[in-house]
Amino acid sequence: MEPRKDRVEERAAEQTGSKVGTQRPVEAPPRNGGGEAPEAPFRERRKRPRISETPPAPPPPPRLDDYEPIIGKPELDELRFLARPLLGKTVKMVNSTSLGGGVAEMLNRLIPLLSELEVVTRWDVITGGNDFFEVTKAFHNALHGGDYVLTKEARDIFMMYNEQNRQRMQFTEDLFVIHDPQPVGLVRSRERNRGKWMWRCHIDLSNPHPDVWGFLRPMVEEYDATVFSSPAFSRQLMAPQYLFFPCIDPLSEKNKELDPAYIQKVCDDFGIDRSRPIVTQISRFDRLKDPVGVIQAYKLAKKYVDCQLVLAGGGATDDPEGAIVLQEVMEAAGEDPDVIILNLPPWSALEINALQRASTVVVQKSLKEGFGLTVTEALWKGKPTIAGAVGGIPTQVIHKLTGVLVHSVEGCAYQIRYLLTHPEFAEQMGKNGREHVKENFLMTTNVKRWLLLFQILLGMVRKEKTT
Amino acid sequence: MATAQLPAPPVRWARAPFYFNSAAHLLRIEREKATTLGELLAALRAVPSESIFQHTFRTLQEHHFIREGFSNDYAHWAFAACNEVGLAERLASVDVREFTSVESLRERIVQIVQDYLNRNPRAADRVAMEPFYFCASDAVVVPTPFVGRNLAEFRDCMNQVSIHSIHYHFIEARLRLKLNSNDFSVWLESELDMGRIADQFNRIDIYTSTLQDVRRTMVRVIERALHSQA
Repeated sequence: MEPRKDRVEERAAEQTGSKVGTQRPVEAPPRNGGGEAPEAPFRERRKRPRISETPPAPPPPPRLDDYEPIIGKPELDELRFLARPLLGKTVKMVNSTSLGGGVAEMLNRLIPLLSELEVVTRWDVITGGNDFFEVTKAFHNALHGGDYVLTKEARDIFMMYNEQNRQRMQFTEDLFVIHDPQPVGLVRSRERNRGKWMWRCHIDLSNPHPDVWGFLRPMVEEYDATVFSSPAFSRQLMAPQYLFFPCIDPLSEKNKELDPAYIQKVCDDFGIDRSRPIVTQISRFDRLKDPVGVIQAYKLAKKYVDCQLVLAGGGATDDPEGAIVLQEVMEAAGEDPDVIILNLPPWSALEINALQRASTVVVQKSLKEGFGLTVTEALWKGKPTIAGAVGGIPTQVIHKLTGVLVHSVEGCAYQIRYLLTHPEFAEQMGKNGREHVKENFLMTTNVKRWLLLFQILLGMVRKEKTT
Repeated sequence: MATAQLPAPPVRWARAPFYFNSAAHLLRIEREKATTLGELLAALRAVPSESIFQHTFRTLQEHHFIREGFSNDYAHWAFAACNEVGLAERLASVDVREFTSVESLRERIVQIVQDYLNRNPRAADRVAMEPFYFCASDAVVVPTPFVGRNLAEFRDCMNQVSIHSIHYHFIEARLRLKLNSNDFSVWLESELDMGRIADQFNRIDIYTSTLQDVRRTMVRVIERALHSQA
């Protein structure tokens, strides 16, 4: 199908902005707010995206006490108690980037909290040339099971930069946490030092390229402990392996509570009608997230229940494949005015938060997934969630208790219908989902996990015998 | 108009105070995993007791907010990944409060799976939709500032401690005490001579209540007792 001309124009005009293509009628949606000037036609408003064209300055990280209304004082007291024996101990965390990506985002929150607990934590970032990061990118893909020919040159580049960084950095701390494969070779500094070394692997090692894993493994085996995001992502190793679920920060832009007026404004800007049910999937325009499958499921469900579908994500501007997938999505949507497709820039956390909160049901129909933090975000907002049973999603979505798991377009369509027509069940599941996140997938829980692991490795704790 | 006030009843002080603790847990990934029920049975016999604890006692804590029938990880896997509903029901019927040692709990679970496979031998090698990954729990006791020296203080503390503290004293306690009871009931009976409240606590159904419900029920029981004292 030939893409509609107006969509292409809109896309060109909104590369940094919001809406890519919708066919909503021009009439204005109902509004909750009053006292505003008469509205311009809907399409007109949507052509002026209110998302800034450049990233806004990040807000200051929250302080520990800010979490008290969320997790309660006893939980905070527990963190303070667990931190007390570590007073005077120092920690170094190392990864490969200070900006962008989930690991840097997580460290930006974790480290201030550890420091506030007086567990002095230093964050170092390894440096390297383009050749190093080309090799590590190839390693990353190969560790996820991709094809790759490991050459001596690639091995030499990897080791040379690890050695350079090792020489450049000081390793005087008591505890070292090395994140992901890029800096894994820094562990060779442990020969000169005491201290305990942990390797935090954020990626899925369930099916690694044997040559790449064979090359990295001897270095991994030198660590005192390893930490994985799921048992399914781990490998058999000599050192103990711990399970730290990825987590979200309930006070981040993407997850904090929002003023209802702001949620309404975002919906108005994007042409979303809040008087009718809203089914939303937030994800990159990537085939593994199956956005076309979501549209098919929506169309099947729509035969029985009136609803709108919002597909919001990024990746179509900076990723050539993303642009192709976006085109496929627009073609699948056809002329349906109730399919709203939004290509958002990476700094749209507040808008994504608002879209999730405005949703009646959230879908994450992935065909392959890491842990699936967008699912965590939806659960945290108490939204009934339908998700593909892949990667780390079943850890979060306990079928029919904290969400529903699906394996097909038809299954997804049925669950959309069911949840939209059984609001009490959906609401209870949403409540359960939020509690599940509160118990297991919040930043503060991970702070506790780190404090416990540090104490265990330093031999500071008497473990409770539970037999 | 002047009103005559009854003198407040004397406070009954406990012979020894109740110190509220909590436990923090860290999950370890074990080497064993099962892709069939046969493999599950073999691993159940081999894994350390901390693993059995994790998938029974501890998982109850992790899912404390669910009223609709979450029991243990083995039952959930048998149902969701193996589609063996009969086995799942039998595993789900295992009540951890009947066990004062993890080893006896292990024996019971092994027995259920073994019996099921004896009757359904073909189920032993049927590959599950998802593997079962055995984990284990390292637990660390965490003291809290809460201390109850009489029933009213005990109730106030009960209202304020974390849900993990409730789990620690009310559910995990039997493994320490080696008794079909809990820390609260033992203290109420031995330090305050309040055996009736202790019994009422022991009759609370943890499988149809969330831990918050458990807390609320216990507080209600205490308040009734305080009211009748007054």
